[in-house]
Amino acid sequence: MNAVVVIVATVLALAFDSSVAEIFTLRATGSITPQAMPCLVVFIALFAPGTAALFVALLLGVLVDISPGHGQLMGGAHLLGPNALGFFVSTLLILKIRNIVFRRKILTISFLVFCAVIISAAVQAFVLVTRGFMPWNPPAVGGGMGEFAKLLGTAIYSGLLAVPLGWCFLATIGIWKFHSPTGRKATWR
Amino acid sequence: MSNYGTFRSTPKTLPIAVGVIICISMFPASWLGWTSDVADLVRVPVTPFSHVGMLVKNWLRPAVQPFDLPSDEQERNELAVEERDHFRQLFHAEKLRSIELADQLRSMQSLPESALRNPRPPLVVSVDLTGIKPSDRSGFIELKLAREALTRIIEGDIAIVGRDIVGRISRVGLSRMELLPSTNKESGYIRAAIVPAHPLEDTRPPLLAEILLTPTGEGAFTSEVPSNRGVQKHDVVILDDPSWPICGRGLALGVVTAIKQLDEAPLRQIITVSPRRRAREHPHVVVLGTGEEDQ
Repeated sequence: MNAVVVIVATVLALAFDSSVAEIFTLRATGSITPQAMPCLVVFIALFAPGTAALFVALLLGVLVDISPGHGQLMGGAHLLGPNALGFFVSTLLILKIRNIVFRRKILTISFLVFCAVIISAAVQAFVLVTRGFMPWNPPAVGGGMGEFAKLLGTAIYSGLLAVPLGWCFLATIGIWKFHSPTGRKATWR
Repeated sequence: MSNYGTFRSTPKTLPIAVGVIICISMFPASWLGWTSDVADLVRVPVTPFSHVGMLVKNWLRPAVQPFDLPSDEQERNELAVEERDHFRQLFHAEKLRSIELADQLRSMQSLPESALRNPRPPLVVSVDLTGIKPSDRSGFIELKLAREALTRIIEGDIAIVGRDIVGRISRVGLSRMELLPSTNKESGYIRAAIVPAHPLEDTRPPLLAEILLTPTGEGAFTSEVPSNRGVQKHDVVILDDPSWPICGRGLALGVVTAIKQLDEAPLRQIITVSPRRRAREHPHVVVLGTGEEDQ
């Protein structure tokens, strides 16, 4: 895997999520906004070697956790973990099923992005609730049907965003220098 | 034989990394202060792209004009001049009053005169936005570090757009600043006052009610107000909180957008106050810096 390409894509995805994504925000429906980072995570999970994909997912999650507005605690501190573990679990599940899906289809990427957003959010909620059980932390608040509907909207919207992004990723797959574990590109579907 | 010797040679690194992340995620907030410095460093390569993205975003999707302000340029300028003169007069009146009160206080407390002098006027600094969380209407906002005024901007300083408060500086870091929108729950309760939107054309008293705003975290405030105060939709809510910098007093926090009768307390109403302007919808904000200049 070409580390330089991953770094450039990560920087662009982080910048997109913290600025340009606002263009696509549906303000009238609770600020539902598509996310580019899950698209990158899913793409890497589909094509990169397993261990590398897990490491990258963990790292990308940490980077999202320290982005503006994410996991913000008092005094400017950020909570590391919710997105990192969310992306990690999503990648783990994608690695389990990637051999039985058509990886080179944009529709596959789009659907997996939808699933990844939902799974990541579930893991985030689990981490926040578990964190709230710790006696030294305040209990977790929030959630409810409104938040769930917003999450579904975000997942669908991110899945739609994955169509053009997935096309870009697949069009440039050569420069990512992914290799199948067996060394045979014929195993890519 | 594996093609990935590098990763195979450290098979336990991944579980250790996951374990460390799980442990960190359970840490109390006071142990995670270092993450802000890490975020400062990591955001360095992202910030230029994010800044450009914000400029593109504001070009493609500009902020909606507040509904109660005139859209015509000339009319707006006339209004601005009129308001400037009005507020200058108010400022002078308040200054005289404060001198009078300071004299009274000094005589009561025997404090030296220097202790009661007004602080210097705030430094007005225009700061660009470089990052937001678009899905969170009250989320923290990342600002470009204004190096020329670094020592003059301190935590707690007010950020405004036009004459509307959009938040307070919550942190000045190594490479960026963070703005906490006033509608964020962490802002806490805010003391405010309700005034008519157009006092010269209104027969109601100039000060309708004093209230305690509660941020909802969803981009608005709520508050209770007595029913007999005649509060109406589109009335302006202004800051009147001694815990905020004094230069922000009288600036608008928002307008009344909804009034609902409280069933359990018939003499009280619950009002919803929405900001007219939000920092995230603008390319830059103006910070009223109150810090001391570096000698």
